[in-house]
Formats: sequence, structure tokens, C-alpha cells
Amino acid sequence: MLAEKALDLIRELKRTSGGTLPPFNEDKIRQVLEEVQTLFEQNRDTAKYAAEGQHDVLAAIQLRHAGIQRNKRCLLAYLYNRLENIRRMRWEFGSVLPADVKYNMCEHEVQWFNQYNRLLANYMRSIGESGGLDLTQDMKPPKSLYVLVRCLMDHGEFETQDGTVILLKKNSQHYLMRSECEHLIRQGVLEHIVQ
Amino acid sequence: MAANFTLDSNPDSYFSLDDILASQEKVPCTFNTQVSNMGYMDQSTTDTNIVSGTKLELPFWLAKSLDRGSRSIINIDTPKNYKEVYRQIFTADPNVVDLHKLGPYFYLFGGKLISLHLPDNDDIASVLLKTFQGRFRRIMDGSQNTLNVDLTSQVSLLDEQERLLFSAGQQGLHDFQKWETRESEKLSTSTMVANHRKRKRFVLSSKSS
Amino acid sequence: MSTEDVGDDLLETVDDEEEEEAMTAPEVLHKLEEAWLNEKFSPDLLPVKSNLVECMLDQIVAMENNISTLKKGDFRISVHRMEIDRIRYVISSYLRHRLAKIESLTTHVLQEEEKRRDSENVLMSPAELEFAKGYCNSVMTHLTNTALDHMPLKAATPNAKEIAVLPNLDSYVFLKVNENTENVLVEEETVDAREEIMDFEKGDQHIMRYKPIASLVESGGVSLI
Repeated sequence: MLAEKALDLIRELKRTSGGTLPPFNEDKIRQVLEEVQTLFEQNRDTAKYAAEGQHDVLAAIQLRHAGIQRNKRCLLAYLYNRLENIRRMRWEFGSVLPADVKYNMCEHEVQWFNQYNRLLANYMRSIGESGGLDLTQDMKPPKSLYVLVRCLMDHGEFETQDGTVILLKKNSQHYLMRSECEHLIRQGVLEHIVQ
Repeated sequence: MAANFTLDSNPDSYFSLDDILASQEKVPCTFNTQVSNMGYMDQSTTDTNIVSGTKLELPFWLAKSLDRGSRSIINIDTPKNYKEVYRQIFTADPNVVDLHKLGPYFYLFGGKLISLHLPDNDDIASVLLKTFQGRFRRIMDGSQNTLNVDLTSQVSLLDEQERLLFSAGQQGLHDFQKWETRESEKLSTSTMVANHRKRKRFVLSSKSS
Repeated sequence: MSTEDVGDDLLETVDDEEEEEAMTAPEVLHKLEEAWLNEKFSPDLLPVKSNLVECMLDQIVAMENNISTLKKGDFRISVHRMEIDRIRYVISSYLRHRLAKIESLTTHVLQEEEKRRDSENVLMSPAELEFAKGYCNSVMTHLTNTALDHMPLKAATPNAKEIAVLPNLDSYVFLKVNENTENVLVEEETVDAREEIMDFEKGDQHIMRYKPIASLVESGGVSLI
């Protein structure tokens, strides 16, 4: 059947749940591209018979053309949906991705991630006239100015807005301004304790 | 972008995984012309060509692209699950039908079939609507009134889109609960970070054992 | 600085350069909150409210300056800080929702912006437009480098119209009517299709398809809730 391998790529993405990026399937992509090449050459080589009015050849060309288009759609959808996933990761993990996540990306995807990082940073810097606005902060409506947090891991020294330096040691608890520790909570360094 | 934002872009977008999977569902076709050198598509024969009169189940995307009215090289028939016999079963008691087994893209694929202008088009359209109307209340009740109950048996009978609806209902219920217990105020680790850490821990523990 | 000064600054009258009417800060905030909810619930990108955003960002700066003049420990500091946090949340969330749509509907929003180029009512701020163009470019470059360049030229040309992701204008929204509007055409898309015309009365709430009321959201005749 036509374009079966391309569909494997789609099934592969559909199977993986949020937050994971399966390894870039270079091998399968190469096979899909090879199929496109073959179908294309067959059409090119038989085009003259179709032009001479051979209906059975014309019919075959229609089938192969549809196959090429389908392969292309699956391939582009595979790449596009991976980018969407990578983009989401920028918001969840921050501007530096964990090594094992990066490991599953291809060279071009790493480049794209860096480019997206830059675009986003430039955009956020240009908001307003006083140095921009970090949109990856303030993800939830604020309920209080200060929050009680517990350290989930040793994180070292941390300077608060008023210049005090505190030590973020595993299991220690602190009362911090929400706006200065939201990032650390999202990264899983601190845990917000609701009383 | 912004975490937990789900945008309902057009369901038939070029890049939609569900749309691609739904358009892979098979449609019975009969070739009314010979097709040279494409015999390999018919696994029941070793002929080089597809001969005129060959019956083949083609994926929807292929049938649709060959569908050119009276000049088509194929005739398309209604797939079994959307024929009169099944339509009667759906209308008799839509709630007992396993749409996942019959689908799993029962509605999405059904909607695509309509675009082929089959002779029983109107009946297909109306059975899609009636089936959903018949099943909607149970989906809503199930997703709204149960917390922490095993719903696998109910969910297993749902088609892919019904599942989305079901989990949207569940999500709403959970969010409401969290709001009631003031848990929605809690700033939390982003889901991807949390999942990533869990997987890592799993890998580490399976290595050490 | 006296208490009155801080209070006055909070409610300082802001001159809107483009419109003649002057609005107070709370009025601007209210308008921004309305724009934020509309953006949150509409499937399509709405014209940007740059004035409101900039105005509130200036307000934050002004409030921060006021705070810095207060003595440490003054109870007003935390009240103002809380207010700043709230305003910043609304602005951020508003811009985030917009960014999400710009990213998912990139080609569509760029095309729509092109159509509006000569009108006053632009869709995106200059910064958003630049982001949209850069984003569109980066995605197309990626698809080209990883796939299209490895296909025969004739097969590889992507059909721009075909691959554009469009908003689902058929999705249903909840809305509240702000101004009496007569003869709103609401198509009923049921099996026995028929046209239906409705009169909206101020204060009414409805649930209906987005498409027929899209222009009313833009004009402010209705608000999404």
C-alpha cells in the first residue's frame, strides 16, 4: 500500500503522551523520502505514455501522485507537531533543556529551539518601555505577596529582592515573595506550601 | 506556548494527527479501468496491473483524491459500518455500541464520508447526529459525576472525539474540586518537569535493581 | 510623601493620545480585563489593545516609584505591591493568550494583518508582528531543511493555502451583550438548515457559534465570558 511508512511516523507521535519527545526517527524519514523519490521518478518516466492517451498509465499516475502528497503531509505533520512539542518545552523547562530531552532532537530541531528562544526573548524585551516583561512568570493569578516554600533539593545561595542572601538547603522552609520564586517552583526546586 | 492552553484550531488542519489517522480509514472501491504497474497494491494477486473490475479497500485519502465524479477511475461504496444494517443498530440503542472498535474515528471519518456524496449521504449524516445525541447524556453524566472511580469500561466504548469530550468534562470537575479545596492557588512544578523527573527516577531505579 | 499623593497617583488620569476622551487608571484596567477575557475565549486573534497595555505598564512603573518613596515597613507597600502583581498578571496572561494564537495560527494571522494594513485597526503590535514573521520563517525553514529540500522540486512545493492552520470559527462561545443590537443573523447549522435572526438586548447572555458574532466582539457590542 502507498504511504504506509509515513503513517508509522504519525502513529509514533500519537502514542507518546505529553511531555515526552520520542527520538527523531531519521531512518523512517529517509525511507519515506525514498518512496517519494521512487513514485516521482515512475511518474516522470511514464508521463509521455499518458500524454499519448494511455488511460491505464494516466490512472497509475493519479494514484502515485496522491501517494506523494500523502507522504508529504505525514512527513510535514510529523516535523510540525514535534516543533509544537519543543515549543511547549521552552515554557515548561525554561531556556535550557535537560540533556536527555535534547538527545532526542535532531540537529535542525536544536537550531530551531535556539532560534525560538531568541525570538521569544526579543519579543518579551520589547514589551513596554521599561525593559520588557517576562511572560513565563505570573502563570497563575496572584493570591498573596509572600508564599511559604520548602526546598526539594540543595540549590545554594539565593539573593532576595531586598538584598538578603539566604541558603536554599534541602528541606529548609522559607517565606519568599511569590514573584521572585515562581520560576524555582516551576522548575521543581521549591515546593509551594498552602496553609 | 503558555502551558495548559489548548487551542481548538480547525479539526481538519493539514498538520492534525487525528485528521491524518481518520483519513486512513478504509473505503470499499471498485476500479473501472486498468491501472498499469500498480498491481502490488492488491495483495490477493500477483498481476503487474490492477485489472478493471478489481475490488479493493482503499484508505479514504486515496479514494477522495481519485474521486472525480463521472470521470473517476473508481466507484466508491459505503463502508460496512455506515451501511443500513449498522445504522439501524446505532439508532436502536446508541449507548451499547462500541464505537472505539467500530471507529475509532467514527464521527470524524463519518464527516469525511459525507464529502464523497455517496447515494445514502443523508442517512449517514443523520445517523452521525442521532448516535451522538443518543450517547451525549451518558458521556456527560459519566464525566461529571464521578471522581476517582474506575471509568475504564465506559471510556473504552467511546470514539476518539467522545474521549476528548469525556476528559474535558473530567478536567473541569477536577479543576472545580481543586478550587474548592484551595489547591488551585498552589504554585506547582510544571507538568513536563515533573514527568521528566519521574521517568528519570524510574530509569535510575531499574538500573540499580 | 503623604497618603493623599499615593492615592492620587493610583487614580491618576491618563490621557489617551489617540482618542480624545481621557480615562482614569481603574477604567483602563477594566477595559484591559475585558480585552483579556475576549482574547482568552475567542478562537481567533483580536485586534491588539496596545494603548491599554502600555498605559497599565506605565502605571506599574509609577506605582513602583511611589513605593520607593515610602518608608520600609509602611503597610501601604504591600497593598500596592499586591495591586502591581495583579495588574502584571492580567497583562502577562493577555499577551500570553495572544502569543499562543500567533504561534498556532501564524500564516492566518499574518494574512489577516496584510488585509488590514491600511486600516487603523491593526491586529498585532509591531513587536508581535515581528515575532510572527520570525516565527513563521523559522518553522518554514525547518520544514524545508529537514524534508522539502530532500524531495523532487515539483513534489516539494508546499501549497500555502493548504497548510495554513485556521481558527475554528464554528466553536461555541459564551457571551454577554453590552449594547442593544437588532437583527443579528445567526445561522443554524442543523440538518434542516435555516437562517435565524435575533435581537440582542443589553445584559442578555447567550451561548452560540463564534463566527456570526465575531464582528460584535471586535466592536465591543458583546463580551465573551
